Amino acid sequence: MSIRLLPETTVNRIAAGEVVERPASAIKELVENSIDAGARHVDVVLSGGGIEYIGVTDDGAGMARTDLELCIERHATSKLPDDDLLHVAFLGFRGEALPSIGAVSRMTIASRAKGASEAWQIGVDAGKRIPAKPAALNQGTKVEIRDLFYATPARLKFLKGERTELNQAVEMMRRLAMANPEVGFTLTHDNRVMLRVPPAPGDLFDQRLLARLSALLGADFAENTIPIDAERRSFRLKGYAGVPTYNRGNAQQQYLFVNGRAVRDKLFVGAVRGAYMDYLARDRHPVLALFLDADPEDVDVNVHPAKAEVRFKDSGVVRGLIVGALRNALAAAGHQASTTVGAAALGAIRRDSQPFRPSEAFAEFHRPLPGGFGETPQTGFVYADTPSARIESAPSSTAAPVTEAPQEARFPLGAARGQLHETYIISQTEDGIVIVDQHAAHERLVYERMKKALTDKGVARQMLLLPEVIELDPVAASNLADRAHELAELGLALEPFGAGAVVVREVPALLGDCDIRGLVRDLADDLAELDEALSLKERLEDVCSTMACHGSVRAGRRLTVTEMNALMREMEATPHSGQCNHGRPTYVELKLKDIERLFGRR
Amino acid sequence: MKLTIERAALLRSLGHVQSVVERRTTIPILSNMLLEAADGRLNLTATDLDLAVVESVTADVTAPGAITTPAHTLYDIVRKLPEGSQVELEYRGGEQRLTLSAGRSRFVLACLPREDFPVMAEDALPHRFSLPVADLKKLIDKTRFAISTEETRFYLNGIYLHVADGKEPTLVGVATDGHRLARVRLPMPLGAAGMPGVIVPRKTVQEVRKLLDEAEGSVQVSLSDSKIRFDFADAVLTSKLIDGTFPDYVRVIPANNERLLEVDARLFAEAIDRVSTISSEKSRAVKLIIDTDKVTLAVNSPDSGSATEELAAGYSSEAMEIGFNARYVLDIMSQVEGDTVRVSFADAAAPTLVQDGGDETALYVLMPMRV
Repeated sequence: MSIRLLPETTVNRIAAGEVVERPASAIKELVENSIDAGARHVDVVLSGGGIEYIGVTDDGAGMARTDLELCIERHATSKLPDDDLLHVAFLGFRGEALPSIGAVSRMTIASRAKGASEAWQIGVDAGKRIPAKPAALNQGTKVEIRDLFYATPARLKFLKGERTELNQAVEMMRRLAMANPEVGFTLTHDNRVMLRVPPAPGDLFDQRLLARLSALLGADFAENTIPIDAERRSFRLKGYAGVPTYNRGNAQQQYLFVNGRAVRDKLFVGAVRGAYMDYLARDRHPVLALFLDADPEDVDVNVHPAKAEVRFKDSGVVRGLIVGALRNALAAAGHQASTTVGAAALGAIRRDSQPFRPSEAFAEFHRPLPGGFGETPQTGFVYADTPSARIESAPSSTAAPVTEAPQEARFPLGAARGQLHETYIISQTEDGIVIVDQHAAHERLVYERMKKALTDKGVARQMLLLPEVIELDPVAASNLADRAHELAELGLALEPFGAGAVVVREVPALLGDCDIRGLVRDLADDLAELDEALSLKERLEDVCSTMACHGSVRAGRRLTVTEMNALMREMEATPHSGQCNHGRPTYVELKLKDIERLFGRR
Repeated sequence: MKLTIERAALLRSLGHVQSVVERRTTIPILSNMLLEAADGRLNLTATDLDLAVVESVTADVTAPGAITTPAHTLYDIVRKLPEGSQVELEYRGGEQRLTLSAGRSRFVLACLPREDFPVMAEDALPHRFSLPVADLKKLIDKTRFAISTEETRFYLNGIYLHVADGKEPTLVGVATDGHRLARVRLPMPLGAAGMPGVIVPRKTVQEVRKLLDEAEGSVQVSLSDSKIRFDFADAVLTSKLIDGTFPDYVRVIPANNERLLEVDARLFAEAIDRVSTISSEKSRAVKLIIDTDKVTLAVNSPDSGSATEELAAGYSSEAMEIGFNARYVLDIMSQVEGDTVRVSFADAAAPTLVQDGGDETALYVLMPMRV
């Protein structure tokens, strides 16, 4: 068979396969066009998960008739004014989206340029142009796509169900909305509003962003985040990171935007995991949205047709920036535990307490605790007569005697009032009460102290009498050898040993007689997958945390008030004391107003 | 099966075999031990499939027979019986119950048929020699602390027993965990020449050591390249060997360590123990600051403080500092018999040799720590 050039429609259909893989990616291309056109509002209407119909209407700059006719040509764009791929300042630039979509669907584009008196409309049906004709439209552009992929039945067959495609579309819109807080978005599917965010108010990007993030991630997010703002070389990182106790079971709610573009990158995933490693169990994930501004010269966005991946000139700097910024922010947040913890506690109490029908659970809550807190046990409900349990007197065996120390109530964790079940410390703050889990809290304090000792003193290294040679694939071996210096600081000294092997000469003394081979293999995997040597740190910290667990005050030990206060003062002074080593909270704070609400006073 | 036996004799034998039986096992019969009575003797067998011990004890057998019964339960019962009591064991075929009576106590134990009890295949063990009990005890005691517990390096999970040729051929026992090494050399017993180098697993070493406590005279050792058997007067222990290659340890034993430190063994051990108290860490690092005729031990712990102690010692080379894991040093020191210990160094990053002033046959190598 002889070689021939493919006809343009076929070329466009092939290109469409790369740029547009599903309705969500078509939506992304169109909405990015709208944003590049300076729109303030973008309305997206879908039907049938976006497979049947996608309509994107914006109030941006619009196009005149000549531009409109050109825009459906391949590699036609207004966004690369100097043909300079090194300085890409717009979201799009390849000039592929519209012709690609047009090649596989029935598309109409109507537009009215700013200041123009008339609107024009043009159509493409599976790559065939439909000549321009006048249309009725306000300023802006409206793109409608019907029957996406009807011209490429193979692709159509591989689309997922309507629901999945819709979920993808919603997720895509959330990302776009997050990256562009000054633009309002609506997403409607079969007349149901799936997403509606007004243009976020505020003069500063940060203000707008926080408003937008809480609109998208929930109001909790705003209360439980730490602002991030850090700079290194030409990179600037802004955004918000959730406190460790505000965590999720998967990594879905981790967003990174590079120059306003949503990106999924293993570098980012690894950096986040590294930064939170200490505070979260392996299967819990923080929530965060970070925005990286980089000089277009330092980042290559032209790696992936859908631009989901980027490449950095110096990925080390970026990783360092993200890890460093998150660590600093988390350290500064200190002992903060998430407010959702307190809310969850209140919810647990309130769920069963209908105002006029006190249930068993509420009665349980209300009954004087064994030996503590006031009255002798009464039969029947006392709800109506005694609206509050008396907490002032604690003369019992369970609650330790309390000395009046009013100045202590001004500390963030307040003054200790007693100990319940020899496990929980109750303290009074200026505007609420705090319940501290004594074991979890002390464990964390001991752990932090050990970690500090480890950092201050360095990791002691046991030299090996029989150096261990470990066979790996050549890439993994050279990855490890490149990071040998970093690993040596953590106590693992290794050298390359021919191609495809390393020899370990020293191991952290803390690990004792350990499985070196397994450790090095894990490290190689970490480096390949996340570009960070997490396993070694994790193992060292595992040892520390086991020792911390044994070396700390157990539940069930009675503490004196002085001891309780000392514990809380130390918690305030120690970074990261708001959660135990597994991301569970070490204390819960209930605000007075919440408690008043419990009793119907508010 | 029916027999009567004195409690003390039964308890002693049970004590020897019951520890072979694993506390938790997925195969029920493995938690049992086999009792066989015939010709005025009771044989007790326990196995974990890698290791089997058969212990023989005299008993008044009125009806021969064999049955298996839970090992730990039987041991615990006999242990709690009053001293001096006579124990009667009776098993009547068909009902799968073993009756144990002593004085006014009576126990009925669940049984499993003896046919199900795993028997270790009897292989030919071509190499045979006899070792004095004291020598074998020494070989085990002075090496077993260095056996690795890390399962991934299974070939280090035992004592490597082999014959070294030379002017005077020797039988050598070696153990290492990659951080330190211990070696004991014995004169080669008759019949050991040509035996393969074998790795005796840790559990076997422990069980043999236990049997040695009450043994006298000498022990017959027979081995092939996959099994080893120790014949005691009343007990036979057969074990599989670790199928692996022990590393070429000879090259890590330094030959030219010229800086020699001689120090009183007891004082040195006590001082190390004392100064390492200050460190709460798992890896207690102790630094040796060695100068002419003295050694200073120093421990530094960021949370709890520091400790130093100076000892008089014989040393005439260049002054040096070197760090060790205190626990490793103490492990070695607890095996030193002589009044002095000779420690020789090359430098702070090279293997250090420790020799017992009172025992030329033992040698220890210790790798320093970087602190």
